[in-house]
Amino acid sequence: MIRLQATPPSNVDDAIAMLQTAIGIEFGTLPPYLYAKFSILPGANPAATERLNMIVGQEMIHLCLVCNIVNALGGTPRLTAPVYPTTLGDIGPPGGDPLVVSLLPFGPEAMAQGMAIEEPEEVPPYKVVESLMATGGAMTIGQYYALVDAFLATLPPSAWTAGRNQITDDQFFAGQLFAVDGYDDAHMAIQQIVSEGEGSKDDPLDFQNELAHYYRFGEIFYDKVLTKIPEDPGYQWGPTPLGVDWAGAYPAIPDPGSHDFSQDSEAAQAAQHACNLAYSGMIDALQKAVNGAAGELGAAVRKMFELRMAAMAALQVPLADGQVAGPSFVYTPTGPGASS
Amino acid sequence: MSVLETPRLYFTGQMVWDPIVTNNYQEFYNEVTCDPAPPNDPVADFRQRAIAAVDPRNWNPHGTHRSTFLAEVSGVDVGSGLDTSDPVVGAPASFLGMLVDAEPYGTISSQLFFDSMQFGIAGGCRLTCPRTFRVMSRYVNFGRNSYNQIKAGVASVIWQTSIPSSSLLQIDPHDSPALQALAEALASENGVIGLTVRWNTYRTIYYDDPAIISNSSPLLSQAAQALIAKLNVPNSFQPNPARSLLVGVVGLWRQGEPACEPGDRALLAQLPNETVATAFARVTGDALVLDLSNSISEVDAELTKQDLGTLSVCAMSADGAKVAKVLGSLPYKSYDRCSYVATSGLVTLPLSAPDAELAATAPLQLRSGSLVYLAEEVLRAAPSTQQNIYLNQTDAAVEAELQVLSFGAPAGAGVTVSRYDWDGTTATLLDTAQTGPDGVASFEVAPAAAGAVLPYLFTAGSEAPAPAQLDPQLTPYIYVRTLPADAEIGAMDPSWDNVYANVLAKWNAMAPCMDNWLLLDQPAQVRAYAAMLRKLTDPAAFEAYRFMPVTRDMTEGERTLLYKFLDAPPEPAAKSFAAQPTAAARPAGPDIERLNRAMRGG
Repeated sequence: MIRLQATPPSNVDDAIAMLQTAIGIEFGTLPPYLYAKFSILPGANPAATERLNMIVGQEMIHLCLVCNIVNALGGTPRLTAPVYPTTLGDIGPPGGDPLVVSLLPFGPEAMAQGMAIEEPEEVPPYKVVESLMATGGAMTIGQYYALVDAFLATLPPSAWTAGRNQITDDQFFAGQLFAVDGYDDAHMAIQQIVSEGEGSKDDPLDFQNELAHYYRFGEIFYDKVLTKIPEDPGYQWGPTPLGVDWAGAYPAIPDPGSHDFSQDSEAAQAAQHACNLAYSGMIDALQKAVNGAAGELGAAVRKMFELRMAAMAALQVPLADGQVAGPSFVYTPTGPGASS
Repeated sequence: MSVLETPRLYFTGQMVWDPIVTNNYQEFYNEVTCDPAPPNDPVADFRQRAIAAVDPRNWNPHGTHRSTFLAEVSGVDVGSGLDTSDPVVGAPASFLGMLVDAEPYGTISSQLFFDSMQFGIAGGCRLTCPRTFRVMSRYVNFGRNSYNQIKAGVASVIWQTSIPSSSLLQIDPHDSPALQALAEALASENGVIGLTVRWNTYRTIYYDDPAIISNSSPLLSQAAQALIAKLNVPNSFQPNPARSLLVGVVGLWRQGEPACEPGDRALLAQLPNETVATAFARVTGDALVLDLSNSISEVDAELTKQDLGTLSVCAMSADGAKVAKVLGSLPYKSYDRCSYVATSGLVTLPLSAPDAELAATAPLQLRSGSLVYLAEEVLRAAPSTQQNIYLNQTDAAVEAELQVLSFGAPAGAGVTVSRYDWDGTTATLLDTAQTGPDGVASFEVAPAAAGAVLPYLFTAGSEAPAPAQLDPQLTPYIYVRTLPADAEIGAMDPSWDNVYANVLAKWNAMAPCMDNWLLLDQPAQVRAYAAMLRKLTDPAAFEAYRFMPVTRDMTEGERTLLYKFLDAPPEPAAKSFAAQPTAAARPAGPDIERLNRAMRGG
């Protein structure tokens, strides 16, 4: 569970700042999820791959939706690439350590990390929001969004600028990505983000009756399909196995950004360079897209495809110790207008 | 059994269409030679012309062909009427396909290539339908939404595919009585051979603006110009999907029913402009079920169904000239908007036992007094599984099977089926065939001497007159697309210049969306993705969602030249693309065999 420290926003700038933090979290989940996905051997783990694809796609949608809200409020979304391992802003449980998010290859540890990131709150969110609004403090991502949502509901229509730098579903994600032209749209976007990530205490299904991310990761982690049952609590893990083959993954090192590639072959170094180039290009194109050049979204997708291909290549180049490395997700600006 | 019998599921929602339409126009594409028009037009110039043509016609030059559901299961019927309390109700209906016209210039040969569709989710109530047959469009109704005259917005279409039980079709009923009933029916030996999924799309809008309802609307021109401005931004990617509403049904597929178009009893449209479009009917025990999903118009933007008053369902004399008995009436509320959405256009008319017996063997009509809207064609042929056939010029002939139905059931042996050539004005008899015991007649379909896209029309019965025209509401038909051999291209030296000019430039011009995945004018990238390109263009993957080119118009010669290039040793310049695995690199790890397979491209 990501726990964030926040107090209720008192003005639009506060809300934008909170949403900017949310952008960082949504964006920051992508590399670890992609690292796990990329490291699955071709043809192995189809059910797990399908679930990871869905999660990654929805995280991208969440990122765009939050950017849409910021743009509609007159802000300028910023994409800042985290350096892994990172806490993504998690403050940890009371007296405990924050969750450290790493780039981990496909395996139980990576899936447990995904569950930890997406872990739902224990109490119905809106009751919690009411008490938090009065006091502020530590909260889950869902509660954090709820706090922002409660403030956005108080804004007058004049606070919103319809059609400002919006990314809609005409390019990608038909039916799932929409413009934020006012509070109703923003509320729907926040509901979608929270619902798809955490589900709710009593129901693992999101607003589209699909499984929320926490439970998708759980299916892979337990190697069991989350199955509906007639008695309480309504679901159980299995008995049908999902068909996970933990050996169906490259022996990839964790957090390659922390690895010293200077001791590895030129091929390994070149492969990392190609990954980072594609990743950086993707971020830069995405940054332009969320700042009003919606057409750049296509370029971002092409770079993502290049990243995937570069990752496939990198995962086939042995390091000096015989392991392999997936993409480091290290960002370097690729040109003018790049993210900072 | 059929979708007109129970059990069945209903689903409703929207469909999003994102085809590239540039190849729909002769000024941009030659559907016979499969080349852009004019040939050898520089890619940049072609793309710019395509953008300029957005106002008023070429509405989606940056399309991707992807088409998807935004839909959910809306109800079930296990034999006692509409039930919206079944646990499967509310489950997502998921479909992603590639929309491709077999005849690019035309509007009646659309098809959806897909891999799987799903109703529900894993772990809960779920129906998983892997593809055996493409989804085919049939019975285009050009008079459906006359208030909405923009492009194809006026029309509605029936889409259908069927999934054999012998495939990987999977039903996870859990606590859904409807899915349990479907599973039990599939397990029975009652002539059920799988499931049919049929849906109807209507009220299509463009530019996301339901207010644009005319091709001459100033709003359309404004929207088109706005799109042009976006398309002209360097590096832009601006698809412009159209959006339709849909209602659908999932039900049982029985032996002798066409896989990809409605079987049962066809009640053909009788009045011009599809005042009431062709419908389908079946007597199911004590009821007559009518599929009016494609038949009744919406007359305004609120989607109000046309009020035709109370309609009569009549059993006719054998020659269809006289009303033998009025079987029942359909008041407006039985086919109004509310009813339409609730049961996906299926209308059930209870019958007494004697009436059911009469209805089973008497031609049916839908009337209003003496005005006949629909009349049954008792003997009717329908392609069994293949409505659109693709051939290479050098291929051997293939068989096309036509299922003949009599009162909705497979006809016996000895029925004459006639095949006609259609040149756009005249139907010319080509040959005839006789049905076998299963009511199926086979025709040999040979490739054309060069590239061609040809329709064949069919009639059933020795007395049937020649079709007056290719009317998708009335005439059974198939399309055969023959791709030219292009042997001279296949014989070329596999230099980059040749491959690009004669193969890749075509799709680089026609499909700018490819820029999002692969720059087709970059030899290093093309080489880097050689294994993937071979996999995606392999004719063995022709039916797959990801097959390339999506438009299925790569000729044998083009493929030969491309593969020679991909198989040739890389030129030094191609190594500049950094994401190249080294051939000698082998990772140590716990499963070397699998890793090695992965290094060969999986």
